[in-house]
Amino acid sequence: MSFGVAACGSSSSGSQSSSSSSGSTGSSTLTIYSSLPLQGDSRAQSLSVVNGEKLALAAKGGKVGNFTIKYVSLDDSTAAAGKWDPGATSADARKAAQDKSTIGYLGEFNSGASAISIPILNEAGVLQVSPSNTATGLTRSLGADKGEPDKYYPSGKRTYGRVVPADHIQGAAQVSYQKDNGCTKSYLLNDKEVYGAGLAKNVAAAAKVQGLTIVGNTGMDPKAANYRSVAQTIKASGADCVFFGGITDNNAVQLFKDLHAAMPTAKLFGPDGVAETAFFSKLGASLEKVTYITNPTLDPKLYPPAGQEFFKTYKAKFGTEPEAYAIYGYEAMGVMLQAIQNAGAKGNDRQAVIDAFFKIKDRDSVLGKYSIDENGDTTLSDYGGDRVQNGKLVFDKVIKAQTS
Amino acid sequence: MEAASITETASAGPPARKLGDVINAYALPALLIAALVAQFVYDQTGTLNDIKTGLSNGTIWALIALGYTLVYGIVELINFAHGEVFMIGSFVSVSLWATFGVDERTGIPLMILSIIVVLAIAMLASGTLNVLIERVAYRPLRNAPRLAPLITAIGMSFILQNVGLLWRPTPDSAPDLIGSQKDYFTIFHVGIEHSDVFAVVVTVPLLVALLWFIGATRYGKAMRATAQDPDAARLMGIDVDRTIQLTFLLGGLMAGAAGLIYALYNGTIRFNQGFTAGLIAFTAAVMGGIGNLKGAVIGGLIIGVIQAVSDSGEYLGLPLGPQWTPAVVFGVLIMVMVFRPQGLFGEETREG
Repeated sequence: MSFGVAACGSSSSGSQSSSSSSGSTGSSTLTIYSSLPLQGDSRAQSLSVVNGEKLALAAKGGKVGNFTIKYVSLDDSTAAAGKWDPGATSADARKAAQDKSTIGYLGEFNSGASAISIPILNEAGVLQVSPSNTATGLTRSLGADKGEPDKYYPSGKRTYGRVVPADHIQGAAQVSYQKDNGCTKSYLLNDKEVYGAGLAKNVAAAAKVQGLTIVGNTGMDPKAANYRSVAQTIKASGADCVFFGGITDNNAVQLFKDLHAAMPTAKLFGPDGVAETAFFSKLGASLEKVTYITNPTLDPKLYPPAGQEFFKTYKAKFGTEPEAYAIYGYEAMGVMLQAIQNAGAKGNDRQAVIDAFFKIKDRDSVLGKYSIDENGDTTLSDYGGDRVQNGKLVFDKVIKAQTS
Repeated sequence: MEAASITETASAGPPARKLGDVINAYALPALLIAALVAQFVYDQTGTLNDIKTGLSNGTIWALIALGYTLVYGIVELINFAHGEVFMIGSFVSVSLWATFGVDERTGIPLMILSIIVVLAIAMLASGTLNVLIERVAYRPLRNAPRLAPLITAIGMSFILQNVGLLWRPTPDSAPDLIGSQKDYFTIFHVGIEHSDVFAVVVTVPLLVALLWFIGATRYGKAMRATAQDPDAARLMGIDVDRTIQLTFLLGGLMAGAAGLIYALYNGTIRFNQGFTAGLIAFTAAVMGGIGNLKGAVIGGLIIGVIQAVSDSGEYLGLPLGPQWTPAVVFGVLIMVMVFRPQGLFGEETREG
């Protein structure tokens, strides 16, 4: 809830420019905020990301050079919404922007939420790294809506980056995965969020390039009781595959059930937005057989030794398998700490840390070796194709995305 | 407005109906039917399918709408927590099946027995909850300004939603006891599914029983009297508080039944299902004429059909689609309200 801001006593009437002018925090204790949806269907996923972030900080002993790093986990969701909420998101971003000790912000989990927090943190000049945003428009104009991405950066300078490949890559991977599984006519549905609608657009663009017929592309009402009429229409369109661009919180389980009932042989595809326990543990045996999910997290065996170590440490420390995005939480924290380290003595200077982040090249990480490009995007591009068995996500194959 | 109780349809007879009133009363339903017939001519099978899906979905809205309309008819209060009472009905049902260990593999006789038992418990649970809500949040405010119980109603709604969130934080699957989406038979290329039959088989007897109870029993008479004029009813020796309690109980029973049908029909339950369902059902009650029982039922069915037609993506070649459905539903509601503020079948509440 948004009570956090009021409780910390900072006056919201104080203009944000006061915090943006001070480049240096002038302190030896720096704060990194995390903002994720800790309520709703994404809760398990978010907690797993928080664990990943904490592990990465602990691996450095909680310190970078002479600076002690404090970690604060915020919640960008509300119980009433059951998912991320615009009000809660901007409250989190303001809290971080107004805290003089803030050096970095890890979040949001959802692209639509980041579209709200990026401008706030951009004006305050705080480095923001998302563990999971995939919407292309946040960083790139290609395949994005009009005005994107510049409208997110009112200061004119870039302050945001991400460690997960963006959706122009996932879109291409989705289409490859669909074609590999014999799809000839695909129907696209999306949940109308920045992430879901953007991804469906990217899938449609990739389908054109790779020669997959798209027979329909519509939004859906995430609050509907069921999708039986929608499923009948999709069935009548002659589609043999259906793709849902969206997140679990937007009624994905109900949608998949109704689609499967109407078209038992059709293959159903989901993106990373449903690659979480709250989705795949609820499908049931029959539906599992026709469900395909693209997921940026690969089989642990395919990661470098440091990555494999992460999966072992995580399980030993928390007693469960990490959710799909835990390793990206680990790396988001890891790359932020690296940026602070690379800034050297100016590690407490917000702009110096941002500059250092955009200069990161050939970083050896748990995900493999990668660089941050001028947009703030990772140079990694491998996507995983996953199946579901007995309520668990099972790695199927690596999809080498063929982007145009 | 003419004076009328929650069921009596103008038995006293209005003095002389103006032609304009008659046109108003019949033009809108006729227009809605004509709109559907046009779509039927355009696409027969698709429309029949939509009507079927819409009517069976609509039975759930109708059961919930009854709770709104009963309570409004008698205390002129919108019970905003009613959607949550329905949600709790779903949660109780699914939890009970889990406790009893009933699932798809259970034998048919035992399964039917479990459905009947769970239906009874879920209805009682929701009914009791509704009575408690009335006792805690509405009765102390009986003589307070109108806004006060409105706010406590919204408050109760949020509290119950949070109870649901604690109970089951993520959507859960209900056991598919009735083989929800399997076809019983096909008629005119439209598959009649188990869930369609189930929804009707449970709803119709409940509706008949409710109408009989209110129309033919002493308690029903007391309810109608209280709805018309609570003060006069009290003077006649009717225990008004008890009667209001009974009204909340009946509304809750219907919501509990709707909760069970919803769980088996859709197969997924979640803590915020009551919010949307409540809004839709409230719309149905207003569209039919708030306070009017038949209006609530028919309003629920109408909204179900509108939703199904809009969801299926096309109306007379115009592109619609699931993303527009809420806008279409409320667009029709606004149209009905503008031309007939008292709802399609007339408001039946106490005299101004």
